[in-house]
Parts: sequence; structure tokens; C-alpha cells
Amino acid sequence: MAWGLIAAFAVVAAILFGSRGLRDFDPALVSYAGATVFAAFGLGYRYAMWLRRPPTRVYWFRGWEIFFNPKRLPSNIAHLTRIFWNNFFLQRFIERRSRMRWTAHWFLAWGCILAAAVTFPLSFGWVRFETARDSLNVYRAFMFGIPVGSFHLGTPIAELTFNILDISAVMVLIGVFFAMWRRGRDHGAMTVQQFSTDLLPLILLFAISITGLFLTASTHLMNGLHYGFLSQIHAVTVILTLLYLPFGKFFHIFQRPAQLGIDFYKQAGAEGPQAPCIRCGEAYTSRLHVDDLKAVQRALGIHYQMADGSHYQDVCPRCRRKNLALTQDGLWKAMSERGIN
Amino acid sequence: MAKLPTDIPTIVSQFGPSLHRVPPGGWEQTGEDEKQVKTHCCFCGQQCGIQLRVRNNKVVGFEPWEDFPFNKGKLCPKGVKRYMQDEHPDRLKTPLQRAEGKGYEPLSWDAAMTRVVSEIQRIQSTFGKDAFGILSGASLTNEKAYLMGKFARVAMQTANIDYNGRLCMVSAGAASKKVFGVDRSANPWSDIPKAKVILVAGANVAECAPITTDYLWQARENGAKLIVLDPRMTPIARNADLFIPVRPGGDIGVFHGMMRIMIQRGWIDRAYIDNYTSGFDEYARVVEKYTPEYAAKIAGVPFDLIARAAEMWGPAPSSFLLHARGIEHHSKGVENCIAAIQLVLATGRLGREGCGYAMITGQGNGQGAREQGQKCDQLPGNRDISDPAARKYIAGVWDVPEESIPGKGLSAVPLVEAIHEGKIKGLLSICFNPTVSLPDANYIRAALEELEFYVNIDFFLSETARYADIVLPGSLMEEDEGTTTSVEGRVIRHRKVVTPPGEAREDWKIICEIAARLGKGEKFNYASPRDMFEELRVASKGGVSDYYGMTWERIDAENGIFWPCPEPGHPGTPRLYENKKFNHPDGRAHFYPVDWRPSVEMPDDEYPIILTTGRVVSHFLSGTQTRRIGALLDQYPQPRCEMHPRLAEKLGISDGDFVKVESRRGSVVVRAMIVKTIRPDTVFVPYHWPLGRSANNMTIRAIDPVSNIPEYKICAVKVSKAEAPTDPISQLGVEAGGVR
Amino acid sequence: MSERMFFIDHSRCIGCESCVQACAECDTHRGTSMIHLEVIQRSESVQTTPQVCMHCEDPICARVCPADAIKKTPDGVVQSSLKPRCIGCSNCVMSCPFGVPKYQAAIDQMMKCDMCYDRSSIGKKPMCATVCPSGALTFATMEEIQRTRRGIPINSWKFGGEEVRTKVYVMVPRTIERVDVELVQVTATPAPLPEDPYDVALMLEETI
Ligand code: SF4
Ligand code: SF4
Ligand code: SF4
Repeated sequence: MAWGLIAAFAVVAAILFGSRGLRDFDPALVSYAGATVFAAFGLGYRYAMWLRRPPTRVYWFRGWEIFFNPKRLPSNIAHLTRIFWNNFFLQRFIERRSRMRWTAHWFLAWGCILAAAVTFPLSFGWVRFETARDSLNVYRAFMFGIPVGSFHLGTPIAELTFNILDISAVMVLIGVFFAMWRRGRDHGAMTVQQFSTDLLPLILLFAISITGLFLTASTHLMNGLHYGFLSQIHAVTVILTLLYLPFGKFFHIFQRPAQLGIDFYKQAGAEGPQAPCIRCGEAYTSRLHVDDLKAVQRALGIHYQMADGSHYQDVCPRCRRKNLALTQDGLWKAMSERGIN
Repeated sequence: MAKLPTDIPTIVSQFGPSLHRVPPGGWEQTGEDEKQVKTHCCFCGQQCGIQLRVRNNKVVGFEPWEDFPFNKGKLCPKGVKRYMQDEHPDRLKTPLQRAEGKGYEPLSWDAAMTRVVSEIQRIQSTFGKDAFGILSGASLTNEKAYLMGKFARVAMQTANIDYNGRLCMVSAGAASKKVFGVDRSANPWSDIPKAKVILVAGANVAECAPITTDYLWQARENGAKLIVLDPRMTPIARNADLFIPVRPGGDIGVFHGMMRIMIQRGWIDRAYIDNYTSGFDEYARVVEKYTPEYAAKIAGVPFDLIARAAEMWGPAPSSFLLHARGIEHHSKGVENCIAAIQLVLATGRLGREGCGYAMITGQGNGQGAREQGQKCDQLPGNRDISDPAARKYIAGVWDVPEESIPGKGLSAVPLVEAIHEGKIKGLLSICFNPTVSLPDANYIRAALEELEFYVNIDFFLSETARYADIVLPGSLMEEDEGTTTSVEGRVIRHRKVVTPPGEAREDWKIICEIAARLGKGEKFNYASPRDMFEELRVASKGGVSDYYGMTWERIDAENGIFWPCPEPGHPGTPRLYENKKFNHPDGRAHFYPVDWRPSVEMPDDEYPIILTTGRVVSHFLSGTQTRRIGALLDQYPQPRCEMHPRLAEKLGISDGDFVKVESRRGSVVVRAMIVKTIRPDTVFVPYHWPLGRSANNMTIRAIDPVSNIPEYKICAVKVSKAEAPTDPISQLGVEAGGVR
Repeated sequence: MSERMFFIDHSRCIGCESCVQACAECDTHRGTSMIHLEVIQRSESVQTTPQVCMHCEDPICARVCPADAIKKTPDGVVQSSLKPRCIGCSNCVMSCPFGVPKYQAAIDQMMKCDMCYDRSSIGKKPMCATVCPSGALTFATMEEIQRTRRGIPINSWKFGGEEVRTKVYVMVPRTIERVDVELVQVTATPAPLPEDPYDVALMLEETI
């Protein structure tokens, strides 16, 4: 709860500060900002809950510890840049799962990121545009109240700036289309998908994008027909999505970066001593990993200590499988040796 | 003239074997199947039911067929991945002709046919009808097997037709015929779980007839004792109640050793023997010789094991014998089988529930393809070609003069020997890859080089097809329809799933067209395989394997019919000999006083080790098909030489070393696999690979005098540590005969 | 018909790998096989063993997952990691008492046997348990198993101090109620052979 409040307050503070004490704040966007504050609360709360799980806590702290280890920091940063490019920008790891999935996800993700990069600063009052005093054709952009540039109407950069939300909406729609197509055809996906976790987010994104596009259409093509109504609908879809953010599938956006931490963790583990299996003698993972796992298991109340003082966690997965079979087979062998059948 | 047109790596680069790993459209391809067709696996005699999934006339996957009673959806890995032979990049889609120095080039069907027919006519008119031989296959449907026999006798009028079932089932068949007068497993598989003791002799069930495993385990669940005879501890032997690691070729020592005890202890059925059999006394006299010492010496195992086997088998209330190539692939294969079957007959435990015996057919249609008259000595219906009555009947069915039907021809090995000697000048082969599958492979390859003209019908360019002048693209099982007869004697239906790709044609259309061009069109005027079945049915009428009462509709409706089914409405005969009537003129079963004799080549000082050969679970026969399926090749990529650590130590060999296995006839270099699960006097090399990896480079071209089966299971070799080979063949992919 | 369940009898396995081949044909993970097939120690024995997910009642794999990525469906099937969540840490791989989850390096994700959820969730048998020729893997009703097997199915395990109950059953002799797992090695059962089995000449002595 505390973390939720802290996150919410942080957002409020950022709005106050970034909009220079609400001077740049656009009151028309207040409902968006409010929903964002609520979402921040939810996310903070959820994140804290997540961190309370013993495995998460262990790896979260271990990850940072390793990352900030002074000896490793420079190479860690270099590594981070690389995986950032591959995993965040290109999302290669998804491509390897399925091209279709990757296409869908890439469009969805970058559509959303682009849109968020524009709308959040706008609704927080961090960014604003105004026409230049000397020419109606020149727009000036302010960030945190500081002028950061200007451009002429009709130039490509202007077109881009004003239509960026439309572009992102189209990207999202492409993503939704691919995702829906896959979910409608792939038997595997169809059996495991659930409405609330897999389809609802797509529907929400679809709704935001399409209503957003309608707004543009209304302005440019239909002389503002139904503009008021449309903008209210659009606001509702956005707010609903913001409210859904902490609870549904979208939470993975905040959870996912932990993958980067695991990357450092694995690297550190690989460089340190390895753990040999007590049955076959072969190394099967890092000492660090085994020791951390034992701590996690202790915290979770998983008791793998064996009667003879050894620890089942020290048996590699392959030996666990073999051991199980030998045990089961041995029960039958003992049976037939005793002549009972 | 038929030396290879160019070097082997060049041929391999054009025609494979190459590996197919991904179904059409990729693994991610989803969506609805157009249809799922119920048919059967083509990769062994068990003929498991399977459904193939089809989209756009392409086989894209499989779905288990759980309602088929034999396998109930079960499949071995070959069955699971069999669909990967469809849409294969190596698939032949046009006729090919040999192009000197280049390999092969496509030509039109008309040109190919013209060439084939003119060569047949030239050779037959110059050297006589019998100078053109035919080698056919046991993985063909009954209809095609029937067609091949008729084609040889009516269209080509050559006596020299034989088939690769000669390498598989003939010892078992001949033995059953001698003892009971019928060549078929006596019981359906459903009898196996009902038996109280089961003897598995020379059958690596887990790898060569995997589906039978569940029947064995089920019997054990019901309290049966399992006895396994094998020089290697196979997966089923591991769980057997008694494993007898018999020396290759020593089986009669076990069988007769058991029988001697059984006679002494009164564990035979005197009344049954007196009333329904003949010849027991002479047999018993021979058995008398198999004292504990003698039996143990022959079998190469402590007598105690033989005694325990007798104690399990002798007094049991019900029993089942299963035998396969381990006792059959010998120059005394028929005698081995007779000795085994007589353990069944002397106890009178057959012809009833849970009592009987079965031979495990290996090839796709191992049972059916040997009944329809493509053996050199048989006419359809399992009829003897030298029996005047049989000739007369079949001449009537074919509407030809009886004297126009040639007499007995040469069986597979002598036929190839006749080629080597220049007596047979032309060859047509279908569904047969003798350069990999016949013994003494160097000799076989040399023989093929002697041919004046060779036409090969196949769907892939097999190692043997490389010697052909003309290669005609035929059909896969799923590209044609027909029936096969499974290991149980159950006649079942293969359905057409897709049409042959490109210009490839159904095999039967190719054969019928050659017949027509030879001027015999009116005798081969079939519109479909169903017409052939209708004729086959009539041809088999009154024969031993009588299909007369069957129709395709009934086979479909009843999930197969067991022969004999002599008239319409007859339910078929799942279990033979229920009425204790046997198919000899005297109505009795016959005992034979078979005695052990040495194999043709026994180990000696120079070649001191026994080589035995066999199969692995992921490959089928000569590997033409399974070596092209990536997932199956990965499972067992290259042959290895299994040897016991005691032998390995003596030879200074460690696990994974390259070893040269060498006989008087040839050698291979493969990796050693050191295991305690084989006898220390024996090494094992599986035979699915060609050229420098072919186990048949070493095997001996000796055959059983009655069945003419080659002696694959024993020859003498020496084994030594070797360097990694560097010759061009060894550098090929393992699927093509390379080694890694 | 009462509900069908998954039964394993490891001792029946013949190592044919049909299960491995068929697993890759299942729609939830086409092209990737999830089942494990172990050759225990080939130099000593031909023993092999399959391992599918046991679908634990309180899955340890899920408990140790930092990303909360492993979920059990209402019908008790423990699924592959949720793709948006799994961070590829391999905690589940290392902690599962049965050694089941597989870390797929290429996609940096854990995948595991999901009992062919596309099939079993609509009443079809999982692929491996349909094709397995030995019956080591069987999908049948409890009644059918009790009628046809000499042993009994159990689903209760103890690993050290940890008790685990599973949805999947394993066949054991009738006297056993729970398997307490201890470490065991394979013991070869050498074939009983006479003093000098090399001496083929013995065979020939009296015959020639
Ligand atoms: S090869 Fe034989 S056992 Fe394997 S699936 Fe095919 S028919 Fe069945
Ligand atoms: S068997 Fe292993 S992977 Fe399966 S549910 Fe249990 S802990 Fe998880
Ligand atoms: S299919 Fe069955 S017998 Fe074959 S390897 Fe798998 S579990 Fe073992």
C-alpha cells in the first residue's frame, strides 16, 4: 500500500513540477492525469506485492547488487546497451518464438510507446505547443516550460508531430490485426488463451486507436462532426486502459525488465564457481544459483534436505529423472525378486 | 554397362539422401485440415492404423487412429514421422535416364517407356525370356504384389522373379508350411496377453515390432512369465523373467535342450501328439542327443538357463511363441523355426485362446506380399508353381495357356548371382534396394555393373537405382490405394491420401503400361487397384491364403479380415487350427527331426568374432525412406559397432573409437559402442546404411537350402581400432553413408 | 465415462522415442518436444525412461518463479511459462523435483509439458500417451488401470522432507503408498554366461 501511495505521489509531484506548478497544465486533460495517478498507485502496489514474493525479492536485490558491483559496472552498462537494442528495441527473443507473434508484438509495443511518449507529457503539462508570436505558421514547442524548438506548419516535421498519434494508432491497429489473426488460427494459442488476459487487452488497444483515429477524421474530414462525443468515448477507453494497467497483461511491461537483471545474474553465475551434481558429478548450474535457490526454498517452506544430510537441490535435473526411474523400476525388481507378482 | 554414371558425391548432391525436417508450410502453419484419411503405416509388418492430415493435396501431419484395434493409436517413431517422406525434396517427379559423366537427366514418359520396352524385347529375344529378371518388394500392396507376379509370368514370361521378402519372412513361412501346411501366424495378437508363458526367440520386439511390446507387458500384468532368447539384452529382455543370451546360431541348443527336459518330465501332450500329429518319435530321438552338456555347448549359455526355460514353458496352462529374424536369418533358418514351433506343437497348446505362436513379419506387407505369387516358386494364393493343379487353375484365371506360365525361377540371391555370372542380362526392380539389403554388398554392387539394361521403379533415387539406365518415378503408399496383410494375417486397407506429385505415377499404372507396350494390354486392363483385388480374390480361391470372401467394403467395415475367408459372408479366421485340422493331406501336423549344424562361416583364428546384424527402432530396412527423414536420422544417425567391454579391452578399444569391422568379403569403419548388454563373443552392427557403413559389406552370401534366406545373423569378422576415415564417401552426410 | 488421467510406468519404457517425436507434433508447441527421454546409462543397461510433467497439486516450479509466470489451469494442468512474464531465470528448471521444465535458450523462456493442453482440454489423449507403444505412458480412466494392471497408481512423493502430490500417477507394486526418493545408481545385471563364451569351438566339438 505504502509503495502504491509513494508511486501516486511521485506522479503528482512530477506533474506539479513539470508543469511549473500547473501553469502549463491543460485542464481539458485532467481526467487523463487523474487516471494516470490512479494507475501509478496500482502499479506501485502491485510491484511491491510482487517484490514480496521470496524468489522475486532475492533476484531483484541480487540483480541490482551484481549490476552495481563496481568491478562489473562498465561492462554491465555496455552489455545493457546491447541487450537493450536486441531485446527492447528489436525484441528479437519474441521473433524466435514466432514471426507472427513478433510482428504483432513489435507493432503493438512501439505503437504504444510512441503514443505514451506523446500523451503522457502532454497530459502532465510537461510539453506544450504554441504559435510563435511573429508568425501564425510557426509553432514553438516547450518542455517543462523551456522552449525546445520550433517548426513551420506544412513541413514534414510538423506533419509528423501533429499526426504522431495517428501513426501510433495505425501501428497498434496493425499489431492488433496480426495478434487477432494469430489467436484465431493457431490451435495452440487458442487452447491456452483466456479472454481477460489475452483478448481484453487487444480489445482495449483497438478501442483506443480506433476512437483516436475517429477524432482525427472528425477534425479533418468531417468538420468536427460529433467531435465532443467522440473525444469523450476516446477518453473513456484510455482511462479504462490506464485503470487496467496494473492488473492485467500490461503489468508485464513493468515486470519484464527483470529479464535484464537475470541476464547479469546468469553472467555473474557463469563466471563464478559451478555446482556439481552429487549423483553424476557434473556441473549443472552456478553455485550462486543453487545457494540462492536453497534460500528461496527455505523462505517458501520447501524442505529438500535428505535424511542422510544431503540436499535434493544438489541433484541435477537429469539425475532427478533418472533417479526416479531407477527408484520405480527398483520397486518392481524387488517385488519380483521376492517372488510376489 | 551399368557402372555408376558419375561419382557418388555428385549423385548425392543431386538426389540425396537429404533430410526433410519441417512439414509443408512450416511448424507454425496452422488452420484446418481439409481431411484426415485413415490408412496404415508403411514402415513394418504390423501396419499400424494412422490418420494422415491433408491440406491442398499435401500431407501435413498425422493424427493417431485410436479406433483401429491392433494398435489403438499407438505408433513407433517411424509411424509418427512417416508423413515427412511426403513433400520430400528428393522425391523423383520425372522419369530419368542415365547421363554418362553427369548423373541423371529427365526424359519423357514416352521416351522412357519406349526405351524400357525395346530393351526388354532385345534382351529377351537375344538371350531368352529368362535373361530378364525382376526383383520386387514386400512393401508393396497385395494388389501390386499380385500384379508383379502376373506381369512376370504373363507379360514378360520370365521365370526369374523374386522379391525382398526373401530376406525377411521366408524361413518362418517355410517352417510353418512344413509343420502345419499354412504360412501364417497362427493367432491374432489379442491372444498374447492371455498366455501364461511367452517365449520370444530372436525378436528385438522393442525396436523392430514396437507395438507388440504393449501386448507382452499386458501379458506380464496378467501374470505371464516372459522368456527372451537373444545375444543382446534388448529392452524387452531387460524386463524378462528369464533372459537367455544365446550364442548366434545356437538356438536349437536351447529349443532341443528344453524339449528333452519336457519329454523327461512329462510336460508334453501325448494324446494331442498321437491324435493330431506325425513324426514325433524321430524328433524325440534327435532331441535325446541334447543332454545338458551338449545343449549348453551349442547354445553357449549355462544349462541352468535352459532348464529354467523348460520349467516355465513345460507345465504352463497356456503359452505363446513369438519368433523373428534372430532365428530365421540363418542357413538353417527353417530348421531353427521348426525346432521352435515344435515346442508349441508337442504341448498341444495351439488353436485356442492364449495358446499358439506367431512370426513377426518385418516388411510393410511381409505377410501379404508373399502370398500373391511374386515369389519365384509360387503362384497367387500361396500356390506352388510346380503343382499342375495350381498352374491349371491360375492359367484359367489369367486366361492364358498353362504351358505359357514359366516354371520355378531363381530366388533373390541366386538371381543376383546369375546376373554376376552374365546369365541374366536385364533387370526390372521395384521396391527393392539390394545394394544395401542383400548380403555381401561388394559382390552385389559388382553384379549390378554387369547388367546390360536395368530399369528401376522407385520414389527416391535409392543406392541401387544409381546403377539403373532408366529410373521411373513411382508412388508412395499414401499416393495409391490397395490392401496389405498385416503380421496377424489381417487384410487391411490403405487409402489414397494424395495424388503422386509431378509426373510420378502410381506403380501399377507403370507396370500395366509396360505390359501393354509388350502387347499384353488386354490382360492388364485394370481401371483401378480394386479391379486387381477382385481378380486376386478369385486367384486365391481354394488356395491356402484364401481371400475369396473378402471385399474392400467388408475390410473397411470390419477393420480388416483375417484369411482364410473362403466365401462371401465368412467371418475370416483370426485363429488357425481351432479344429485341430492341419493343412497337410493327412490332416496332421508334422514333426521334423531337425538337428543343429554349424553356420556356413564359423569364427576361427583369423576372424575370431561373430558379427550379427539387425535393426534400430528409427529406421526401416535399407533406409531409403527413413534416412531421408531428419527426425528419424537424428535419433540414430550412423551405425555403431556394439561390443562387450571384455572384448573391447582385449582389442584395446574404448567407447566412441573408430573401429574397422572386417570379414573375408568386406569391411566398415564405424564408431564403437561399448556396452555390457551383448555377449562378449559377438559384435552387432545395424544394417540400414549404405556403402562404407553397410553391415552387409561383411555378411556372407550363404542361404538356407529350403527358404533361400541369407545368413545375416552370423559371419566371422575381426575388429580393430581404426583411424578416422578420410575417403570421399566417409565425408558425406551420415544419411548418405558418411561417418562422423 | 469417468475422467481420464495420466499414468506412467517407467519400467515399461523401451526407449523408442515415439513420445519425443510425437510431442513435437502437438499444437501448443509444434516443432519442439517437451517430454524428456533419458537413457539411464547405456554402457550398463538398456534402461530408458520418459518424464512428463507430473502436474503437482502445489507446483514447486510455480512457487519458486520470481516472475509469477507459471500458472495452473482450473483442471489442474500446470502450463508452460506465460510468455510475457517469464524472464528465463531457470529457477523452475532447477527446483522441479521431477526435473521437468526445459529452458529454451533461443527464446529465453521456460517451456514444459502441458499435457498437450490443446488435446487434453477437449477430451483427447495427449500425444505421447497415445502413441507410446509400451504403455509406459498411458491416458486412461482410473477404473481401466485398476482393472488391467497388477500394480497400483500412486501420486504421493517425498523428496527429503518435502511431500509432493501430483495429478499424474505412477504405477508401483501394491504394497507401496508413497515413494520416498533416495539416490540410486544403475546396477548392471550382467548376462549369466559360461566361463569362456569366446570358445565357439565348443560348439563344433562333437558335430564335425
Ligand atoms: S513401423 Fe510398424 S510399429 Fe512402427 S508405427 Fe509403423 S507399423 Fe507401427
Ligand atoms: S512436475 Fe515439476 S514442472 Fe510439473 S508441476 Fe510439478 S514442479 Fe512444476
Ligand atoms: S514412447 Fe513410450 S516406450 Fe517409447 S520412449 Fe517414450 S515412454 Fe518409452
